Amino acid sequence: MMAGSLLMGAGPGKNAAPDVTLEIAPYTLEASPKRHFRTIAYNGQVPGPLLRMRQGQEQTVEVRNLTTDAEVVHWHGLFLPSAIDGAMEEGTPMIAPGATARYTFRPDPPGFRWFHTHTFAGNNLDKAQYGGQHGFLMIEPSENAGNYDREVFIGLHDWGGHLTGSDDGSMNPVYDVSTINGKMLGFGDPVRVKQGERVLMHILNSSPTEVHWIALASHTFQVIALDGNAVPHPQTVPMLRLAPAERVSALVQMNAPGVWVLGEVRKHVQAAGMGIVIEYAGAAGKPVWTQPNDLVWDYRQFAAPADTKQLGDEAVRIILAIDSKFQGHGNEEQWRINGKSYPNTDEPILKTGQRYRLVLKNLSMDDHPMHLHRHTFEVRKLVDGASEMQGLRKDVVLVPAKSTTEVEFVADNPGKTLFHCHQQDHMDRGFMMVFQYA
Amino acid sequence: MPSWKTQNLSRHFTLSMLLLGCLLAGVRDMRGQGNYEIQVYGSDTVPPKNLMVELHSNYTASGQTKLIDGVYPTNHQEHETLELTQGINDWAEVGFYVFTSEQDGHGVQWVGDHIRPRVRAPESWHLPVGLSLSTEIGYQRTIYSPDTWTWEIRPIIDKTLGRWYLAFNPALERTWHGPDVNQGLGFSPAVKVSYDFTRQISGGVEYYADYGRLFSFDTFHNQQQQFFVVTDLNVSPVWEINFGVGIGPTAATDHLIVKGILGRRFNWGRKSSVE
Repeated sequence: MMAGSLLMGAGPGKNAAPDVTLEIAPYTLEASPKRHFRTIAYNGQVPGPLLRMRQGQEQTVEVRNLTTDAEVVHWHGLFLPSAIDGAMEEGTPMIAPGATARYTFRPDPPGFRWFHTHTFAGNNLDKAQYGGQHGFLMIEPSENAGNYDREVFIGLHDWGGHLTGSDDGSMNPVYDVSTINGKMLGFGDPVRVKQGERVLMHILNSSPTEVHWIALASHTFQVIALDGNAVPHPQTVPMLRLAPAERVSALVQMNAPGVWVLGEVRKHVQAAGMGIVIEYAGAAGKPVWTQPNDLVWDYRQFAAPADTKQLGDEAVRIILAIDSKFQGHGNEEQWRINGKSYPNTDEPILKTGQRYRLVLKNLSMDDHPMHLHRHTFEVRKLVDGASEMQGLRKDVVLVPAKSTTEVEFVADNPGKTLFHCHQQDHMDRGFMMVFQYA
Repeated sequence: MPSWKTQNLSRHFTLSMLLLGCLLAGVRDMRGQGNYEIQVYGSDTVPPKNLMVELHSNYTASGQTKLIDGVYPTNHQEHETLELTQGINDWAEVGFYVFTSEQDGHGVQWVGDHIRPRVRAPESWHLPVGLSLSTEIGYQRTIYSPDTWTWEIRPIIDKTLGRWYLAFNPALERTWHGPDVNQGLGFSPAVKVSYDFTRQISGGVEYYADYGRLFSFDTFHNQQQQFFVVTDLNVSPVWEINFGVGIGPTAATDHLIVKGILGRRFNWGRKSSVE
């Protein structure tokens, strides 16, 4: 595990220039000339700045909070101490309005990570992850053996949320506008490519609540990493599915000259703006979209079959039953883990070095993107009765409704560890728990 | 013909059951009473490519027993109304009604038909309340209503607050052909208040009234006033089930009515997941 430290306010380290400065401040996003959103952003841009760090190389990050609310930055996917991981539930101090905090850490593991706010929104669908506080974080490995010509970062987000009744009988957020890299389709700069290039696309779904399906007309994706971790079996697929907080790294062979749309597969979401133009050098004309007929995705194709000798018998099982308590057709549901909502949820005690299997029994009618802080888990079983698998290492897994998903992790990073649904509305309504270390 | 309507509480369709009602004040003219569709409207409209089929079954357990001016008495009449509502787009729908009545000595009779276009404020307006506007034009046979051609405009305001649901329909009615043609606009408000006991079961009270001519209300004795205790059961997104019992406290109103609604939504749109 990599060590890290936090310095709030003035201190001996304050005089040295930080490697990275993040300024949290109000910002008006122009998704299109007709759609503007008053939000909070990092360094006056949405997504925030692309941060590149070298694995294991010490970094100092200074965060200035220029807003009127306390803030915190979560370094999603990194193995950091609880005090700087960026969740107040783990003990990371909030940054008061007008205050500055400094974090020093050696980033690990390598791969495509991200950073975002980790605060409460409640019924304010402009705050927290509903807003613009998210950015790409690339931790370069000590040796980069990537076989590509260049990288492109793609961020999916939804804006203008409001609560509306849904088929499950409660209020859920729906959105007016969906963007890629902060722009609606047709209003951002195109991604310019050349024929024959191998482009490594790093795609992040920073949506507060929505799962997204992404395709690129006339091209396919060779998925090489999920949540920044290399997959055992890279596969070529026609589209990608990303739950909130998930990342996909995929190689795209640029072998179909033209002007194309990379966008959401579902028509109404692309119509709300989720798309970006991919333009070959020398090509011209109106961007072309080819509409797929189905939504296709399966994590299992990227995993290796389980070695029957390593079925995880040594793992300690922790069973977590997920359900919700109806609060009325005009309310969102109250979410529970084993019948309790945060902050009253259980706090299992982990033993350092022990392997644990989380048995996630989703009794609800919703899919849930479950995120474990400060650790990477291995997805072992996706639905009831499915065969075991191995090698698929992630920090977010979408647990389908009315089914059980099993993941394993090694308790190797002592400190409070938050485990929660990454849907902002679900977090806000109790869908969190904290693991303690003995 | 007053449009007395129970609400379908949200897009989830309901089943119901229930009891009780209360008062009815005097009906301005008992002949004009029309318990064919007893419903307080919610502001939602049927989505495009969807057809909502509803059967309204209303039984007048205690009503008018005498033939007045050639209009059949309502006592022990069983009214079956078929309502077909087609969604046009995200903010408009059109409803069509076929009214029938069954009564000893008269058999099953066609009563009339109505057509009801309705529009609502789109979600993108982000209004603090649900808002829609319905207008209904229809014909009914003289032996069931002396006013044969009628028109109604019905603003619909509703709000969900946690487990509570509130709806208000301040409807205005106009007779185009019949004895009341010179009475101008009549005011017929309807109100619903309900509570979600569970995800599946809601219960509440509905109030229907016909105060008479706008700005010149009838005496209280001659107004229609009726109270229903209702229940909705949200068993499935495609089914609607509602049940209620209502009483009218005045001599001029039907005194006891049992009502039920059974609805089924049919989706004619493509089933593709990308739609």
